[in-house]
Amino acid sequence: MATGIPPRAIVEACQSVSVMACGGTYEYAIEEFCLGKFRLDMEELDQHHWCSWEDTVEPYGELTNCTYLIALKMDCFWPNRQVDEFFIRIHKHYFHDCSLSGRQLRDPPNHILGPFIVVPILVTLLMTALVVWRSKRSEGIV
Amino acid sequence: MQRRCFHSESSFVCCVWLYVAGGAGLYCNRTWDGWLCWDDTPAGTVTWQNCPNYFPDFDSTEKATKICSESGQWFRHPDTNRTWSNYTLCNFHTTGKLKMAYILYYMAIVGHALSIASLLISLAIFFYFRNLSCQRITLHKNLFVSYVLNSALTLIYLIAVVNNPDVVGRNPVGCKVLHFFHMYMLGCNYFWMLCEGIYLHTLIVVAVFAEEQHLHWYYLLGWGFPLVPASIHAVARKKYFDDNCWMSVETHLLYVVHGPIMAALLVNLFFLLNIVRVLVTKLRDTHRAESNMYMKAVRATLILVPLLGIQFVIFPWRPENRLAGEVYDYIMHILMHYQGLLVATIFCFFNGEVQAALKRQWIQYKAQWGQRRRDHCSMRSTSYTATSITEVPAFMYHHDCNSEHLNGRHTSEDSELVALKTGETYA
Repeated sequence: MATGIPPRAIVEACQSVSVMACGGTYEYAIEEFCLGKFRLDMEELDQHHWCSWEDTVEPYGELTNCTYLIALKMDCFWPNRQVDEFFIRIHKHYFHDCSLSGRQLRDPPNHILGPFIVVPILVTLLMTALVVWRSKRSEGIV
Repeated sequence: MQRRCFHSESSFVCCVWLYVAGGAGLYCNRTWDGWLCWDDTPAGTVTWQNCPNYFPDFDSTEKATKICSESGQWFRHPDTNRTWSNYTLCNFHTTGKLKMAYILYYMAIVGHALSIASLLISLAIFFYFRNLSCQRITLHKNLFVSYVLNSALTLIYLIAVVNNPDVVGRNPVGCKVLHFFHMYMLGCNYFWMLCEGIYLHTLIVVAVFAEEQHLHWYYLLGWGFPLVPASIHAVARKKYFDDNCWMSVETHLLYVVHGPIMAALLVNLFFLLNIVRVLVTKLRDTHRAESNMYMKAVRATLILVPLLGIQFVIFPWRPENRLAGEVYDYIMHILMHYQGLLVATIFCFFNGEVQAALKRQWIQYKAQWGQRRRDHCSMRSTSYTATSITEVPAFMYHHDCNSEHLNGRHTSEDSELVALKTGETYA
């Protein structure tokens, strides 16, 4: 994505913060500098693709790197409680309805599977009846 | 923890899920152990799930287990004192299973090769002995051709796709097309068996001893109709379960093809039992000779239908026990892959007419060869040749295609002379 805050700007912004508080300030910093870009990236993706690993790995990776860099520059230990809570909020917002097995292949639900199975069976029986009827008619009964 | 969340899709999903909700009571917390995600487990229980397929020697049908101790903590390995999940079963039996998989694979290849050979021989016999030709033999020929094509396609599929993990990995469109044709030919096999049953039923029960039927509808049912389930399966598979080369058998979408096949087998069985009923009750008194012959004709088809169908009945129930499972696999493979050989044997090699025609041909050949040798060896051969040719045994009666002759149609070119042996196995 072309727009977004380059890491260098984040680093410089972080260096301007005077008090190295790894609590509230850190939390403010990651929300200010990292969350915006992530939000934009995810909005670009169609909501149906949020549970798709291939599509979300890049923005998610950038977000994680961003929090790591800020922690590094603020001399904070990483990961820490603020980052954990930050990610919990992100997961609850974006990934709350992703299934546990991810995109593992599964059968369609029964209301789709049922007709797919029953209709060919019925067509088979109809076709058989048709052939029996036609072969009967083609000579008549002796 | 976020760093480990990048390992793969499974870890990503697990990490997401780990954060999302919570529970209560004495239980071991849900966790990610580096390979699999484990749910909240009540204290004092052992939880399991299927092994992952990350490694080539991991069998994803085996189980990985994790113990949750009484105190609500995950089991720690005594040596390292770290939480530990038991993945030992995942690759424990792998070499043995691999060996058995190869044995079954080669068995399948041999089965199909034998089937193709025996079916081609039978087709050659049917085409060579033109006097055997009639409508029922025409249906046999179509059935044999469909079995030959099915075996050929299966062989190609086994050799080119199943034995070739990189083809499966690449997932070309060709292997899905091959799978589609494989399903189509499978349908053709069983629908031609159904055509045989319908033909006999129409011949015996509905229009007894009538003139020749029009075979167009049989061709439509045998060759044309199986396109329908195969196409529906392809569409459904593409839309809902599009795995590599459509190789997986873990999906219920296969019933889109197997369901109509089972329906055809059941309908066939019903028709054949009806024929037997009619033959036994109605024709017993009036047309004794013909009913005997038709009973023999029906017997072959009646034997084949359960044999061909039984794999669909017992297929879902693979025993859990290892040894029983292996026996099951061997039996299923024999039933599935040697069907062509079985069909050729019962419909052609055990057919009394075919045996008689072959014997006659052999006698003629021997006589001619003997005559040629005598011509070579001596000049005084004329008296011998006269007697050797007239030694051909007497009258033959066309069992199989009897109906066409009963109405007085004379087949001038083919009143063959073969001995009529009563009680001969007639298929």
